[in-house]
Amino acid sequence: MKKPRLIWLQSISCNGNAHSFFNHPDLFSLLSYFNLIYHPLLESSHSLIEVLEGTLPCDILILEGSFKEEGFQKNGIEIVEVAESYAQKAEHIITVGTCASFGGVFKEADPKNISGFVFDIEEKIDRYTQYASKLIALSGCPVHPKWLSYVLMMLVKDKPIPIDEFHRPQELYGITVHTGCTRNEYFEWKVDTKGWGLKEGCLFYENGCQAPYTKGSCNKILWNDVSSKTVAGTPCFGCTEPTFPKPNLFKTKTNMGIPATMPLGVPRRAYLTLTGITKSFRIKRFEERIISYDD
Amino acid sequence: MKIADKKALRRESIIQVSLELFSSNGFHRTTIPDIANALKMSVGNLYNYFSSKDMLAKEIIKYTSETLGEKIKTINLMHITTEEKIYKIVEIYFVMAKEKPEMIEYFLRVYLSNREVFKDGCEGMICVSGFITEIMIFFDDGVESGALRNQDFFSAFGLFMGYLGGMVFLKGENVLPKDIELYIEDISRNIYNALKA
Amino acid sequence: MMIKKLIEKIEGEAELDFIFNNNNKIEEVKINFGFSRGIEKILEGKYPLDALVITPRVCGICNHAHLLATVRALEDGYRNAGIKVELSDKATNIREFTLACELIQNHVKWFYLTMLPQLEKMLQIENQENHGLKASYLSSTITKALAIFSGQWPHSGYAIPGGVTCDPTYVDVIQAEGLINESIQFFEKIIAGVQIDELLSMHSVTELQKIGGDFGKLLYLLGSSGMAEVGKSHDRFIVFGECLCFKIGKSIPTQVSRINPKYVKESVQTNSFAKSVSYKGRQFEVGSLARGMISKEPIVKALHKRYKDSLLTRVFARVYEIGLLLNYSKVLLNRLDLSQPSCCLGVGVVVEEFEGIGVVEAARGSLIHKISVKKSVIEKYTIITPTQWNLSQGDEREKGIAINAMVGASTIEEATYIFRSFDICSVCTTQ
Repeated sequence: MKKPRLIWLQSISCNGNAHSFFNHPDLFSLLSYFNLIYHPLLESSHSLIEVLEGTLPCDILILEGSFKEEGFQKNGIEIVEVAESYAQKAEHIITVGTCASFGGVFKEADPKNISGFVFDIEEKIDRYTQYASKLIALSGCPVHPKWLSYVLMMLVKDKPIPIDEFHRPQELYGITVHTGCTRNEYFEWKVDTKGWGLKEGCLFYENGCQAPYTKGSCNKILWNDVSSKTVAGTPCFGCTEPTFPKPNLFKTKTNMGIPATMPLGVPRRAYLTLTGITKSFRIKRFEERIISYDD
Repeated sequence: MKIADKKALRRESIIQVSLELFSSNGFHRTTIPDIANALKMSVGNLYNYFSSKDMLAKEIIKYTSETLGEKIKTINLMHITTEEKIYKIVEIYFVMAKEKPEMIEYFLRVYLSNREVFKDGCEGMICVSGFITEIMIFFDDGVESGALRNQDFFSAFGLFMGYLGGMVFLKGENVLPKDIELYIEDISRNIYNALKA
Repeated sequence: MMIKKLIEKIEGEAELDFIFNNNNKIEEVKINFGFSRGIEKILEGKYPLDALVITPRVCGICNHAHLLATVRALEDGYRNAGIKVELSDKATNIREFTLACELIQNHVKWFYLTMLPQLEKMLQIENQENHGLKASYLSSTITKALAIFSGQWPHSGYAIPGGVTCDPTYVDVIQAEGLINESIQFFEKIIAGVQIDELLSMHSVTELQKIGGDFGKLLYLLGSSGMAEVGKSHDRFIVFGECLCFKIGKSIPTQVSRINPKYVKESVQTNSFAKSVSYKGRQFEVGSLARGMISKEPIVKALHKRYKDSLLTRVFARVYEIGLLLNYSKVLLNRLDLSQPSCCLGVGVVVEEFEGIGVVEAARGSLIHKISVKKSVIEKYTIITPTQWNLSQGDEREKGIAINAMVGASTIEEATYIFRSFDICSVCTTQ
């Protein structure tokens, strides 16, 4: 079986996705399934200058970074044109990171002209119809290395990948970042964390955590095999969603104390009724610190 | 009529009669036999519906809360301004105070004044959640649309409900010179002015 | 004669114009960066705390340094506005530990993905080993230790004004220590072929013979190919970031003295989206060699005495720093007293107007962030990255540090290798 030829092309990017992927624990055995034509960090069979000519073979195209229709060049060549020529010949296209998928952080420098490869935030741009049939989007800032290896291996095995309306794999983005968070019990009983730096308490009510309405597997497939933002007391910033980054990320927007955004799919009446009931009870265990280091 | 529906109607009439008796004779002086008597049913049969007077008391507060809550939900779902919604909520409250005073009075004179009856099984706000949820939705919509000032929930709630409760209390003491419905306009304007953005 | 070359795999790319003189030696180099993502502009109008999420996106390999520079700038600003900000030792040590981990990961990647393979390619040496695998292994291991406290790497947001968001247990600390021990094993057995204690106590050039492993190989190849003494520049060093086991100050060449950030000046350069930066109008080198010189590390000073600020000294100082930081990271973990609070400020602290500066030592050198907030939003944000220092074009008086180091090289290959020894970060330089 011929190994698929892989090109990793960077547009307007910080390289975060390349470095995230580089940390994959099984990186080299994974790469042995592919013919690495170009990668920005790893030893590959061709140089960037050769890639920019647009004529190299390519079965799987990985795109990182947001796109500008004109005005972003390397070696005098518009990157968007290079991306298009490989996108046309590739069998599969994977946009890694929120920038390539939706526009992300760098879109804000020039909102009219910078977008994701086929999506501009939530809207499909002209290019969408041409590439939709072969496109997988792995949004996230950065993408988790194991989300990418999942897609790559599914492609190698020729298995169909169920995707959502933004072309994100449902096996990864079908759940919310909230699933599996170590603070779930505090969420259930509406015990908010008192300030910052405590393992006790939920970050949703005051600290700006977007996990209950952000799609992703961060608390199921842990980051760096060991942790996640919310486990470390940092609120989820909603980085897998087209709207990333929203303003005021460290504070929950509330209307008279009621979170402005509800957990995904939960109607406000249902949420508020439940909140009213749980807030009526004080569960002692959830009000106390778990560990005491005093003698 | 199906048996389930019959039972539901029966249940409601027990609640209604209880409310009236509590209102005219007082909560502590009204007994289960009094209520059964007024309904021309046996005490044993009444106990089939409510296992004790305390249980009945709790079910009544849930019932009144849901009834009021349903009316406010209807207002919440209307496509009118926040200012207009305030008017309608005040109107519902005052009209109910006039036509079914026993309901509002129950809340003020029984629920709030006999906490020991309600402390087990009606912790915090769980028995009034039907009503509270709709008020929360009203405030949430109001702030989201920019009509109301974002503030602590209880500050706003206290202002709104304390004000309405106070007016109904005064009515109950026969102190108000005018018919309570004639106060709807002024009261809603005051509430809107106090809470608006 | 001028030859243009696109240099890639420098966290992005740069276009270099090599100008040769009549003796076929490079006499001038122009460095051009073609695009700026405009992060400083993106930050204008944003809530101050949002900078903690935006600035790491300057760079995928040193995002953690940007996070820490931002939080220091915010804290400095809060203090200037009269707010008491007193970090617990626990919070300070955790931040330092995670910073050390990021530096180590950077140095290792530069060593195994750039310095060793590029030299082997240049000298046409057949290489059977998988250098990338070694880099990936150590990078995953050390960033895992980092992520135990920060939640994830890259792009965590765990440092906030007042401290950190994490609340670790000794289970976490012991796990982190285990990963550091693994990394130390790897450094001692595979990278340096010598124990860290022994490396850190070296003080004469002859002792370099004791170094084995891949580091020993690199030193040998540099020496035997005649590349050891190339790459000398202005022999002037500077360190601004007060952190880890580093000292701040400047060293000219070996004379160490104090510095004042007010003399740092950034200016726009023609034909490049990168801005230049100078101290009192002069060019200074930042990075591991600068840190070694100002901290007066004995072996670095000994090498410098013999080889000045050549390629050999520069490369040595950086790999040496891996050992230094691995050692120091254990010290930091041992110091942790988990009964202390993680953060001294609560949610919703809003300071409507302030100005602050945050400086940190990133892998490649001093990283400076300046923030100015008016009416609760960011009015201006300035980022000066280490690569801006090393890659400044210079002026009529003197050429920039890296450019000066390349002057005199006979081939583009040699000049490119010298260029890479500064470990360029293209995305940081242009932001």
